[in-house]
Amino acid sequence: MKVNLTINGVASSFEADPDMPLLWLIRDEAKLKGTKFGCGMAQCGACSAHVDGELVRTCSYPVQLAQGKTITTIEGLSANPNHLHPIQQAWLDVQVPQCGYCQSGFMMAAAHLLEENSNPTEEDIKTSITNICRCGTHPRIVEAILLAAKLKSNETTN
Amino acid sequence: MKQPTNKPKKGFSRRKFLARSGAAIAGSVALLYFGRSKIRSGISQVAADVKFDAGITDFDPMVWFEVNEDNTITLRSPKIEMGQGVFTGFAMLAAEELDLPIDRIKVVHASTLTGPKSTAATGLSNSTASLYTNIREVAATLRETLKLAASKAWGVPISGIQTDNGVLMAGSRRASYAEIAGQTQTWEIAKTPALRPASSFKIIGKAQKRVDLPEKIMGKALYGIDTDIPGMVYGAVLYCPYFGGALKTADTTLARKNPDVLSVVLDKSWIGVVAKTRFAAEKAVAAIKVSWDFEPGYSTKDAIEAITVGNGVTVVMEDEGSATDALNSDALTSEYRTPMGFHASMEPSIVVADVSGETVKLYTSTQNVAFIQQSIADQTDYKPENCQIMPAFLGGGFGRRAFKHNAIEAIKLSEAAGKPVHLLSTRQQEFQNGHVRPNTHHRLSGKVDAKGKIQAIQHEFATGSMAFLGMPVAKPLLGADFMAAGHGGRVPYAIPNKKASIWSSDLPFQTGLWRGVGMFANTFAIESFMDELAIKAGADPLTFRMTHCGNTALLQRRKKLLQKLREQGGWSKPKTDMIGRGIAVCEDHGTISGAIVELEIVEKRIKILRVVQAIDAGLLVNPDGVRQQVEGATMMAISASLYEEATIENSQFVQTNFHNYQVAKLKDTPQIEVVVQESTDTPSGVGEPPLSPVAPAIANAIFNLTGVRLRSLPLQTALDKHDQKTGE
Repeated sequence: MKVNLTINGVASSFEADPDMPLLWLIRDEAKLKGTKFGCGMAQCGACSAHVDGELVRTCSYPVQLAQGKTITTIEGLSANPNHLHPIQQAWLDVQVPQCGYCQSGFMMAAAHLLEENSNPTEEDIKTSITNICRCGTHPRIVEAILLAAKLKSNETTN
Repeated sequence: MKQPTNKPKKGFSRRKFLARSGAAIAGSVALLYFGRSKIRSGISQVAADVKFDAGITDFDPMVWFEVNEDNTITLRSPKIEMGQGVFTGFAMLAAEELDLPIDRIKVVHASTLTGPKSTAATGLSNSTASLYTNIREVAATLRETLKLAASKAWGVPISGIQTDNGVLMAGSRRASYAEIAGQTQTWEIAKTPALRPASSFKIIGKAQKRVDLPEKIMGKALYGIDTDIPGMVYGAVLYCPYFGGALKTADTTLARKNPDVLSVVLDKSWIGVVAKTRFAAEKAVAAIKVSWDFEPGYSTKDAIEAITVGNGVTVVMEDEGSATDALNSDALTSEYRTPMGFHASMEPSIVVADVSGETVKLYTSTQNVAFIQQSIADQTDYKPENCQIMPAFLGGGFGRRAFKHNAIEAIKLSEAAGKPVHLLSTRQQEFQNGHVRPNTHHRLSGKVDAKGKIQAIQHEFATGSMAFLGMPVAKPLLGADFMAAGHGGRVPYAIPNKKASIWSSDLPFQTGLWRGVGMFANTFAIESFMDELAIKAGADPLTFRMTHCGNTALLQRRKKLLQKLREQGGWSKPKTDMIGRGIAVCEDHGTISGAIVELEIVEKRIKILRVVQAIDAGLLVNPDGVRQQVEGATMMAISASLYEEATIENSQFVQTNFHNYQVAKLKDTPQIEVVVQESTDTPSGVGEPPLSPVAPAIANAIFNLTGVRLRSLPLQTALDKHDQKTGE
């Protein structure tokens, strides 16, 4: 089928099997490599992206469901590379990633969390994000999200 | 060392000889499995003084570095960045001698075509430690070489030239490194100068931001999986999920019907498909009807039976005094077990193979470039020099990427399709067709005298091998893998009579290296048992450990670290009855690592509240990088200690994905504090050591809270079983 969607602000059109996971379209067709494959069954969250503002694990999301929708991947999270999204800024300030492979997914999940809950507690963060990291960046992820919430609220008030 | 009095006189025993030569052989064999070229010399020179080194002999600055037009310098790293921060550590070491800010050093992976080659894998927590001097030397040599070129160009003596911030200066003359490099036709390599003393360090030892993070937070960092080269198509492979199975029948009619499918390859134990898109390849593989020849019925029970002290081949690793005699009566004896475990690196195994004529190019995530190159040469017709390996960032290593994995399959698929093929393993294949951390069994016996001193201790343990994968010669030669799986098996404390022996049996599935290798399981057993002995002696577990630190430098550092943990880890702080507190410590690769764990049990679930990790890894090149490694090792250890367990039914691993292989998540994150002790002026490893004290510290804390001694991992499962048994 022909899939029309907007990825990171760019209207795009692809010929694809309707059952193909959105992840393969993002990575292999749109050539955006920041969204990763980890498990293939929506368990680990490495493939997380935003679809019409919703947090989606794209390895288990057929492209036919994305028809006409707006996709944001890690590459599109900051509108402007000179002004990082608060999540990415906090990730850099706290020096979160190690291998970094799961981090795009965590950042997309964290950015979505802040949209839903602008001032999450540590407990909110720990219970609402269920992604998997094997390097053990967990304590810094929690710290960075708390910082990002502050950065974001400063942005809004300024 | 006193001679054992009770040793049976059986004449010269090969195994005893090997045990005595353990250290030398461990070094040689570790080198040989990381670099096959060393096999023969390694075996023939068992007595040679071979230690774990970086496996790098080429320190030509022109091979390591390139001065770029924008006055940045590219450093080609022979070690792989898998999250441990080696790129940042290397950039810091180079920047210190190059007089350049670290953000102007661009670190890239060396490939087999460019850059220094490493015959050893990236691992053993040794990259920064073993190259600490070498990288500064090669960088200093480059600096002097640039000065020499400027001296010739300007006609001034080299002694009159200074360097600062990437600029060469003599009097009023100024030129950037790039300008001098641009106008130099023939390089004369300068002599390696004396290194700058630690007292003048401007970069080393000061917390630095990681050089790889700006691209990692933008999703721009390229891992093996991100390889995308012109003409590339996609492979998918169906592997036999059963141990040792082979293809019996295969109906590939449906797979071949798909117009996007380019090739189908049948091998002894796998079927591969190449297609224009990844999804087409996946669908084609799913449509293959297949049956396998395999020996059914193997289960976890069989693996546990095989890996039991007394079964298989044994090697005595240590025998001081007469432990066996001393333990004849009144000894305390306990047995421990650890399960099989997966690495579960987030990036599955990935190879892009591009075969063309007699040359094969491989783009891959690997910890071991040289091993892959040699494995391919061994198993195909390509000559090693025609196998080009282009390594990328790793989405997690942990020992998972030390072997070759799907390289051969990708090459065969590329040959069949006549195109570059991207071959990614599924998560299920990572679990069922990878290699696992072997299960272990430990029997510890010990005796404490009236003064509270351990008179004798014996550690007998059984384990599958970790280092023998892909090395058929090692097992018959050595009998047991005492250097990797046996790592940490000796009781490190000063005790007059002590003995350690390893028992080894074959398992029908692949076992391999896992972060910390044997230190993880052996520390769980030994440090849990130290707690048992302390309790029996009526002693404080921390003081009891200090009492058994003798006079060696390592034990003195251990003692100092324990004291530091007591003072800064809140060991004696009052606590409620709802909180359990435990301690454990280990020495790994010259690094001392100790942890205090505080936990509670809420509705039968273990909840770790606080972990204080103390580490003495000598000089810290990047203190924040060390903290990251300690935190990471703590989380991975919590995961492996509480939850992780691979099990077997009917000759295959039961676990197929993260829904049935539980790992630690954000909810499991305790407060982690890192206490640092710098006892030496050179660095030692940090990637693995902090992992091993965590499991026994948790088990000891559970005992402290409940009076229940859990002697098997994972601890949550052990607690559940205990609760069921006691009807709680």
